[in-house]
Amino acid sequence: MDLRLKFVQAMQAILAKTGHGGSLPGTFALKMDPHFLEKFKMPKTVVLVTGTNGKTTTQNLIAGSLREAGYSVINNHRGDNLNVGIASLLAANSDSNFRIKADAAVIEVDELTVYRQFKNLHPNVMVVNNFFRDQLDRAGEMETIIRKIQEVTEDFEGDLILNGDDPNVCRIADTAKKARIHFYSVARQEESKTVTDEASEGKFCPRCGRRLVYDFYQYSHIGRFHCECGFGENTPDISVDSIDYRNGTFTCEGKTFHNFLNNIYSVYNCAAVLCVMKTLGLDYGNADETFRTLVLNEGRNEVFNLSQPCVINLIKNPTGSNETMKFITSQPGDKNICILLNDNDQDGHDVSWIWDAHFERLNVPEVKTIVCSGLRAYDMALRLKYEGLEDRIIVIESAAEAVKWLDQQNMPSHIMATYTALHSTRAILRKEAKHGA
Amino acid sequence: MELKILWMYHDLMDLYGDKGNTQVLKVRGRKRGIDVTVDTCTIGEERNIADYDLFFMGGGADNEQGLIYKDLLSRREQIEEAMKSGTAFLLICGGYQLFGRYYRDQDGNTIDGLGFFDYYTESSDRDHRCIGNIALEITMDGDTFRSVGFENHGGQTKNVSSPFGKVLSGHGNTFNGGFEGYMDDQVVATYMHGPLLPKNPKIADHIIQRALKKRYGSVELKALDDTLENNARDIMLKRLGVL
Repeated sequence: MDLRLKFVQAMQAILAKTGHGGSLPGTFALKMDPHFLEKFKMPKTVVLVTGTNGKTTTQNLIAGSLREAGYSVINNHRGDNLNVGIASLLAANSDSNFRIKADAAVIEVDELTVYRQFKNLHPNVMVVNNFFRDQLDRAGEMETIIRKIQEVTEDFEGDLILNGDDPNVCRIADTAKKARIHFYSVARQEESKTVTDEASEGKFCPRCGRRLVYDFYQYSHIGRFHCECGFGENTPDISVDSIDYRNGTFTCEGKTFHNFLNNIYSVYNCAAVLCVMKTLGLDYGNADETFRTLVLNEGRNEVFNLSQPCVINLIKNPTGSNETMKFITSQPGDKNICILLNDNDQDGHDVSWIWDAHFERLNVPEVKTIVCSGLRAYDMALRLKYEGLEDRIIVIESAAEAVKWLDQQNMPSHIMATYTALHSTRAILRKEAKHGA
Repeated sequence: MELKILWMYHDLMDLYGDKGNTQVLKVRGRKRGIDVTVDTCTIGEERNIADYDLFFMGGGADNEQGLIYKDLLSRREQIEEAMKSGTAFLLICGGYQLFGRYYRDQDGNTIDGLGFFDYYTESSDRDHRCIGNIALEITMDGDTFRSVGFENHGGQTKNVSSPFGKVLSGHGNTFNGGFEGYMDDQVVATYMHGPLLPKNPKIADHIIQRALKKRYGSVELKALDDTLENNARDIMLKRLGVL
């Protein structure tokens, strides 16, 4: 029995009653005891998920699939992936002797701080989904992130699930000599491209320094690459064969699966989940059921009923923004767009990444007006101005006023918001929505 | 009137949205009826550098910098010829460093620079970088004004004879360095990302004028509506307490 744990759990119980959750109890716990995380007796199955984009979606899909397979599972479903969030999750789900009350823990870990928690969490499966440029002011160069992940996986003796189509992720296999490596991959599709203007990483072979050759790109630098030195010659455990966007499905090993969000990055998230299921010897049917039924709101294609539907998406780096813009412009009909750009700690203080994202894609006739909002609204306005969208931008710095404006136009709309703008804007949308979301 | 821009290592030295600078030069030039072209050039590609009015090079990660520097050094004579012929230079971050004497990275590896200028750069350790919003006071071609950017560099650049600007808020060439970048009549070299030019239209226009000078002498530029640009800059100057 540990009084500190008891205190943290009591605090959680009170917060839960008042409708609060989050990382506050974990913050207290780690303040009182820096070794708090080491004390937990973890369940037999611990799956960690890390990478740049899609961590929250992937871990929720894995947790859902394990639940379908009959496991009791804990996961940091909202994506609180720093040590305080993880401490909160564990405290809330342990008995008074630090024993986790679940068969499995699926935990999303921040790619920059994973080295702090890795050993304490005793993972037996680790998923690394992708590395894109993200918050360079916080993360430093991508090289630094990859090195950190290589350090923690060097002695890892469990199952390492890697995106076989991301050269930066594949690098980890070269240094994780003790782990069992499992790659997942997606085969060439009609939509795959042989040239790209999106790939900024993974141009050179990490083994020999030659320029990597790509047979095709799926999105950003994700695709089929190889090098004459042999880098990239991986045999995937899970290979997605064909994607059917019309029906929202994909096929793998002769079976048809529901594609969770019906876009290319969602296929990769699903493939990672199938790879975990295969590694754990579990039935894929449980995963498909989760792909079909899981509702993941929290600003991932989340719809609110303003006078016309308003879809909100999180944007935080060029790759995610590019994919969100592809989705928006693939939707038929006229629409207004609102981009909320903040530069608080969790967003990253450096907003220069908006110049690496392809905002010129919004320059189509169906996009009627783009409202620039948030702390760095004028930076966003400039980004669009220099893509020839000058006549279609307005600046409304307050998010509440911007949402009101969208509501008044009686036209479908899309909101793209950075992390700290997302949660406040969702609260505003909930209030403004006529019939709830 | 024509303005020919050479964008060096567009595919490798492309961190922090530096490509936005070429976008701004293109749009601001074209709004004045100038026929602006941007050619790119990467490792192993032939270009006659002196044919261009403006040479632009952005920043890259240590890895990328290591890949390009030999190619850059092999073009030293051509670059010198371009300088003599009046080409203007805009160099950001890694581009800035490599025009000096040398660059020493975090692991102690030293790569030679082009050595056109006497400054040199030594990296601090991996965990200490100059990161954050930065504001400068700049006097450029007789015009004094304030500008903003975002700095993110481990490299400490020393022995700079004529800096780009005086630091009003932020670090500059070294930790709390007081001065930022390098500038002479032809060259602007700086750590300022953001990117540099969108929020600082005066710098953009001076660079356009410097580039046009090579073929057309002094050129007056028609004023543009810079309301958005000025708002974006002033919001940051105010936040940094220097407006």
